[in-house]
Amino acid sequence: MDLQLTEEQQALVAALQDIMQDHAELPQERRLSYAWHDAGLQTLLGESGFLDAAREIGPLEAALVVFEAGKGIAALDTIGCGLVAPLLLPDLRIEGPVALVDRRDLGKAIRNLSISGTLLVDCGEDVALLPLAGFAIDSVDSIFAFPYGRFAERPDLSSARRLPGAGAAMRQWWRVGIAAEMAGAADAAIAFTIDYVKQRHVFGRPVGSFQSVQHRLVQRHGWAKSLYYLTMKAAWSGAESDAAIAACFAQTGIQSLMFDLHQFHGGMGVTIEHLLHFWTYRIRALQAEAGGLSASALAIAERRWTEAGSEVDAVPARVAGL
Amino acid sequence: MEFAWSPEQRRYRDRVRVALDELLPDDWDEAYVPESYASDRQVEFSRHFCAALAERGLLVPHWPKDFGGNESADWDHFILGEEMKGAGEPRGPQYMNVNWIGPTLMRYGTAEQQKQHVNGIASGKVIWCQGFSEPNAGTDLAALRTRAELEGDHYVVNGSKIWTSYARTADWCFLLARTGTARKDVSIFLIPMDTPGISVTSFPGLIKPGHLNEVFFTDVRVPVANRVGAEGQAWEIVTHALAYERVGVPRYHTGLDALDLAVSQLRREGRWDDDPIVRAAAGRIVAKFEAARLMTYLVVDQRVKQMPPSTDANLSRVVALDAVSDLMNFIAEHVPDCLAGGDVLLEDYYRINVPAGITGGTNEIQLDLVAQRGLGLPRV
Ligand SMILES: Cc1cc2nc3c(=O)[nH]c(=O)nc-3n(C[C@H](O)[C@H](O)[C@H](O)COP(=O)(O)OP(=O)(O)OC[C@H]3O[C@@H](n4cnc5c(N)ncnc54)[C@H](O)[C@@H]3O)c2cc1C
Repeated sequence: MDLQLTEEQQALVAALQDIMQDHAELPQERRLSYAWHDAGLQTLLGESGFLDAAREIGPLEAALVVFEAGKGIAALDTIGCGLVAPLLLPDLRIEGPVALVDRRDLGKAIRNLSISGTLLVDCGEDVALLPLAGFAIDSVDSIFAFPYGRFAERPDLSSARRLPGAGAAMRQWWRVGIAAEMAGAADAAIAFTIDYVKQRHVFGRPVGSFQSVQHRLVQRHGWAKSLYYLTMKAAWSGAESDAAIAACFAQTGIQSLMFDLHQFHGGMGVTIEHLLHFWTYRIRALQAEAGGLSASALAIAERRWTEAGSEVDAVPARVAGL
Repeated sequence: MEFAWSPEQRRYRDRVRVALDELLPDDWDEAYVPESYASDRQVEFSRHFCAALAERGLLVPHWPKDFGGNESADWDHFILGEEMKGAGEPRGPQYMNVNWIGPTLMRYGTAEQQKQHVNGIASGKVIWCQGFSEPNAGTDLAALRTRAELEGDHYVVNGSKIWTSYARTADWCFLLARTGTARKDVSIFLIPMDTPGISVTSFPGLIKPGHLNEVFFTDVRVPVANRVGAEGQAWEIVTHALAYERVGVPRYHTGLDALDLAVSQLRREGRWDDDPIVRAAAGRIVAKFEAARLMTYLVVDQRVKQMPPSTDANLSRVVALDAVSDLMNFIAEHVPDCLAGGDVLLEDYYRINVPAGITGGTNEIQLDLVAQRGLGLPRV
């Protein structure tokens, strides 16, 4: 049992933080945007090898990359191309970024679709792999802080390449990814809010000196910190149950997080000039993915209390033969 | 990062489990656990059990060799606590002795006090109670009014304590009493509970018997030699002592066991497979307990690595309390009969946890500490 990062992991994190630091500023012209996809940063993360961490080092390091990148204000794809795709398809290079969707949502607005090279479709048992070149995709405006796109015409999956039996593995790593990005975004959003409540004065004292504000911030911080460790454990173990636990815990805490962080910013928290929404509305966007809270909670119950639900080990091995 | 136990740690856990298996009576779960770890019966049992643990080197293995320990690794000490808690804490009140009373006396006690009490604790036969809280001094402990007046080579103690767990059966009391007029003029005394002038009254409550006691001190004479540290040194000593007490009570262990029991009952009754709402609720509770588990491990890991003190121990309690509170609600909502004789173990779990946010420092104090010392929020 060792909950501290190794020296190599620390070096990875420090190198990524340096890059993120250089990309921490929102360009002036994007000041009133709901979402900001930093295409330059996305390319840089790919070129400097951070999105290969899953293949080159391991899932825990890949989750660390998703977590650290999640602290930034930019919308990126690290879950799809840094975690899910390489762990599902260790031997296949596919065109990134990689969007992820449940088959039932294929006709709806899909997160990151407008910036992605490939779409992985969770078809329950199997996964369909859809290169996106040649598809007409309409950008969608939304309150969420990710770019969204919608197929102009619903694609026909019957001719798409299929990965038989890979559905569970896709959902597993998707869940780890959701948890990792939410943990990173929450960490940054809480720090941003703490700064705000220290500076903003009401009734002659800082907002952050009121006990009701302090206690709720501590509770949100406790949730975010726990989520970080649950996520790293899920990435480390490669166990489906751990992934479901991390996602379930993440999705359980969103309601209070969203309410409290926006609440403590008062009217400023309603604007999009204020940066808060770049983190919180990425978290909101992830809330329903990979089946959402009920599916992750039910997956935990099934694993723990169904006789057949004994633990299966790391997933890449199972789909490697594809 | 590494989330697995080492082979040595697994072997250590097995060793503790074997001891539990061999030392607990066959009717432990049915007859003892339901009475709760503070009951007279379990406290008495702990005198035999802990003595046997001591013989196996499993009572104070983490202590220094000079005091009868084996200087074993902090993780081993934690694994021991985890297994004991998981088994219903057969050490009864003696977890307090080994976790903080002993270590506190090693640091602040006189040679005489160490000889008598540290050895006594290491033998596994002595029961202590903690006489801190008073009717008007709980969270605000510095408001305590019990007084100790110096008269020659004795102090004379007058006042009363409340919520004093185990006081009915304790041999000794670790007492806080006022020795001066300033708010923090408080000192520590070690008092035999059979000293003339001490009386104990117990009263019933939502928690199982053994915790809710009032202790009255009327002209109780205590030798000066029984004072720990200097006059007025109590705060320093207690702060140090409670830093030991407050390291992660492993609540997830018993919590997950209790949840398993509730689920088996629901399954037996056909109220599980067809009810996704209940299953999802149970799944969410598992996630919260796993969060509590990792936060507790984080605190132990920091301690093992001797990292600078943080407020993560306080934070881990906040996280654990949330899980416990969800589980209590689950029990009452889905298997309410457990609280009316249907399942003694679940009832015990529920009732032990009624004051989970109060004992050992209330939740609000934990939140204050993390807010101000951990997150740097301003104190006004
Ligand atoms: C089962 C049980 C066993 C116990 N065992 C022992 C024992 O063995 N020895 C011993 O000495 N004591 C023991 N205690 C006492 C325990 O430590 C106190 O109950 C606790 O410190 C709270 O004190 P109080 O009950 O006086 O509550 P109060 O101090 O009256 O506080 C009441 C409530 O007010 C709120 N509150 C208080 N201060 C603040 C604040 N600063 N900010 C915000 N909210 C606040 C909290 O919600 C708190 O719960 C035990 C208590 C229980 C219930």
